[in-house]
Amino acid sequence: MSELAVAMFAASTDSHLLDEPRSARFERFRAELDERGVVAELERRGIRWVARGDHLFPARLRTIHDPPPGLFVRGTAALTVFDAPCVAVVGARACSAYGAAVAAELSRGLARAGVVVVSGLARGIDGAAHRGALETGRTVAVLGCGVDRDYPRAHRTLAASIAENGLIVSEYPPGVEPTPWRFPARNRIVAGLCDATVVVEARERSGALITADLALDEGREVLAVPGEITSLLSKGTNHLLRLGATPVTCLGDVLAVVGVEPSRPAATALEPRLEAVRAAVADGPSAADELVRKTGLSAGDIAAALAELELVGAVVQADGLYRVGMPMS
Amino acid sequence: MLARTVTHALVGIDPRRVEVEAHIQGGVPAFAIVGLADRACQEAKARVRSSVAAAELEWPGTRITINLAPASLRKEGSGFDLPIALAVLAASYQVPAQSLEGHAAFGELGLDGRLRPVPGALVAAEGARHAGLTHLVCAAESAPEVALAGVEPVGVRHLGEAVSYLRGEHEPPEPPPPDDDFAVLACVPDLADVRGQERARRALEIAATGGHNLLLAGPPGTGKTMLARRLPGLLPLLGDDAALEVTRIHSVCGTLPVGACLVRVPPFRAPHHSSSVAGLIGGGAGSLRPGEVSLAHRGVLFLDEFPEFQRPVLEALRQPLEDGVVSVARVAARAVFPARIQLVAAMNLCPCGARGDAAVHCACTPERIQRYREKLSRALLDRFDLALTVPRPRGHELAGPPGERSSVVRARVLAARARLRDGPPSRTPSGDELLERAAERLPLSGRGHARVARVAATIAALAGSDHVLPEHVAEALSYRLPKEHGE
Ligand SMILES: Nc1ncnc2c1ncn2[C@@H]1O[C@H](COP(=O)(O)OP(=O)(O)OP(=O)(O)O)[C@@H](O)[C@H]1O
Ligand SMILES: [Zn+2]
Repeated sequence: MSELAVAMFAASTDSHLLDEPRSARFERFRAELDERGVVAELERRGIRWVARGDHLFPARLRTIHDPPPGLFVRGTAALTVFDAPCVAVVGARACSAYGAAVAAELSRGLARAGVVVVSGLARGIDGAAHRGALETGRTVAVLGCGVDRDYPRAHRTLAASIAENGLIVSEYPPGVEPTPWRFPARNRIVAGLCDATVVVEARERSGALITADLALDEGREVLAVPGEITSLLSKGTNHLLRLGATPVTCLGDVLAVVGVEPSRPAATALEPRLEAVRAAVADGPSAADELVRKTGLSAGDIAAALAELELVGAVVQADGLYRVGMPMS
Repeated sequence: MLARTVTHALVGIDPRRVEVEAHIQGGVPAFAIVGLADRACQEAKARVRSSVAAAELEWPGTRITINLAPASLRKEGSGFDLPIALAVLAASYQVPAQSLEGHAAFGELGLDGRLRPVPGALVAAEGARHAGLTHLVCAAESAPEVALAGVEPVGVRHLGEAVSYLRGEHEPPEPPPPDDDFAVLACVPDLADVRGQERARRALEIAATGGHNLLLAGPPGTGKTMLARRLPGLLPLLGDDAALEVTRIHSVCGTLPVGACLVRVPPFRAPHHSSSVAGLIGGGAGSLRPGEVSLAHRGVLFLDEFPEFQRPVLEALRQPLEDGVVSVARVAARAVFPARIQLVAAMNLCPCGARGDAAVHCACTPERIQRYREKLSRALLDRFDLALTVPRPRGHELAGPPGERSSVVRARVLAARARLRDGPPSRTPSGDELLERAAERLPLSGRGHARVARVAATIAALAGSDHVLPEHVAEALSYRLPKEHGE
């Protein structure tokens, strides 16, 4: 079978195909297709093609019930990244500052421990997950359009840095524009590439829940980050928890699921000055001004302490509120 | 008979000497102004004629020609009224021609002969001084400004008064003594009014010390405007040269308070976000006028709702922020205006403004938030050394005790500025090490790196330290631009 012909034919007919269709039209298409020429042209543009039958094709993805005919791959990393433990970090595009901070911090920790963070390059949680992972390790973006499309546009530079350090993959050939029906199909690849899927924030009936469902269908682990019960952004994740998803309360929860040891030994103890500020932040998200009053330190000293705590990942800031970073265990 | 007076026209904020010649000949009564005079200037005819009558003087019933020289310079505005009237009166022997020697004249006449102040008296007086003239006949209100230029003001209220002065019958009143600098400072609102907001107050103090531009982001009504208005009160008073420069601009634009003299307190300007490029930067259809950036010269320009300004306006801000001047060009002319400003900008965290406010739900889509933040280019954001988020304080903070007074903060700012000037704090290996670690971890761009280093030096100076220590670098890091801005 020619997987490349299937992938190209599907794109040219705007259809979703896993195997060779029995049609005269396909036969004609295949006869006219100069496969070597296509591959050479892709290579010239720095894009690799990995057919499903190729031994480099990600093993986990091959085992799902509807694997794509192959993947178009952009980026410098070797395809062996998929041999490492992979975790999908997905969630709402319109996320809260809290959700973005958790996604980034979680991905930072996962990547540092050698886990590959997979997501869909969308705004919101996806973008935060890629960014966090880029800081400490490897990340893979799965697109619902050609790998040359840089969709969404706002993530153009992010896509470039992912291509430099990780991979951008798609089952669609370059040039294919994003269309709504391709996103659920893309989500099956996100879930299929990974040992586990973490949903950070999701409304009811959202794309991230589709990814979670697809992961469950394939018998992969699904985890969800608990959120406020009054927020719409927690409806989807809390629903998953009720169905039996593993709650994420710390980085260790995710690492345990994929069987990876935390890379960092127990965090080195903080200086007492910093520990006092960290403890005040741990009481709940606080603005710097509240910390000034709580600790009795000056605004300048609080600012310095917060910056140092941010540097070691002990606190994160979003929209002017400081929170403690993702607990390790 | 021919008589001549001297006045000065404004080109941008510079004076140009103009000679006003009145020529009285026999013949059919007529009154003409030649020499590239604009409409307001042509209208001088009616005002001058009526004023002469109101002053109970005689209008020559012959042919009068006024020539404004050089003819190549476009004459705009109503400041020519008084010199034209005096030239006519001298040419008709009603004031002694030699009494005009050493005198320039500048001012608009009402139909009743009253003298009105016109913008730019200071500049006209500076022109007079450069032309070697010792006295300037002007409206009484303009006298303090004229005195600043080192020219003796002859401040009069009426054309009749000017005539009796020139005839030696009357001495003009002394201009009022200049205002006390500190009394003027008392008009700036005090920091003690701001409750809570410890972090923003601290950032304001650092901004005042290092002259750093400051970006405040947060929901509406959290006191961003209040804080910005209090920045001029933390800055040193302007020195003589700077004060004269600033006063000159405000004189030309007519924004000096009545009877005010030298502007010593750094100005504060807060143009609305609907301002045009001409309004903000200068220029405009009619004349080359300084814009808000020049009115804020050596002071504070506050731009509330920063991303709502039109994109061309925002981009046009880059020149003054980089060079401290703006150049504006019109078909026939071109001017460079000083514009050394300290910029304070305020914005919401999202278009609806709810972000950063725990009590309100923000319904903005990521696309809208992105578009809102993308309106600010990276190149523009790079001009802000200090950025901070001002979240809505929880209710009880506003009931707290008043904060420190401006005078207390100002004393610290002045001491730290002196330190920065005389022996700026030196770098240390441990401070540098922290900065390098941050650059790797955050990540921090090359420009971001330089900004943090600048702010750290300011913080060290405020701490009275000779060295930039890690705690100074750490605090500076906490005011860096958030990643998501302009990405
Ligand atoms: N920290 C504060 N201390 C005292 N009064 C405050 C404080 N914050 C806000 N206020 C009150 O709220 C009013 C609005 O504040 P201000 O105009 O400075 O807010 P803002 O953040 O600039 O809002 P906007 O962006 O809508 O202009 C002030 O006039 C003041 O009365
Ligand atoms: Zn909003």
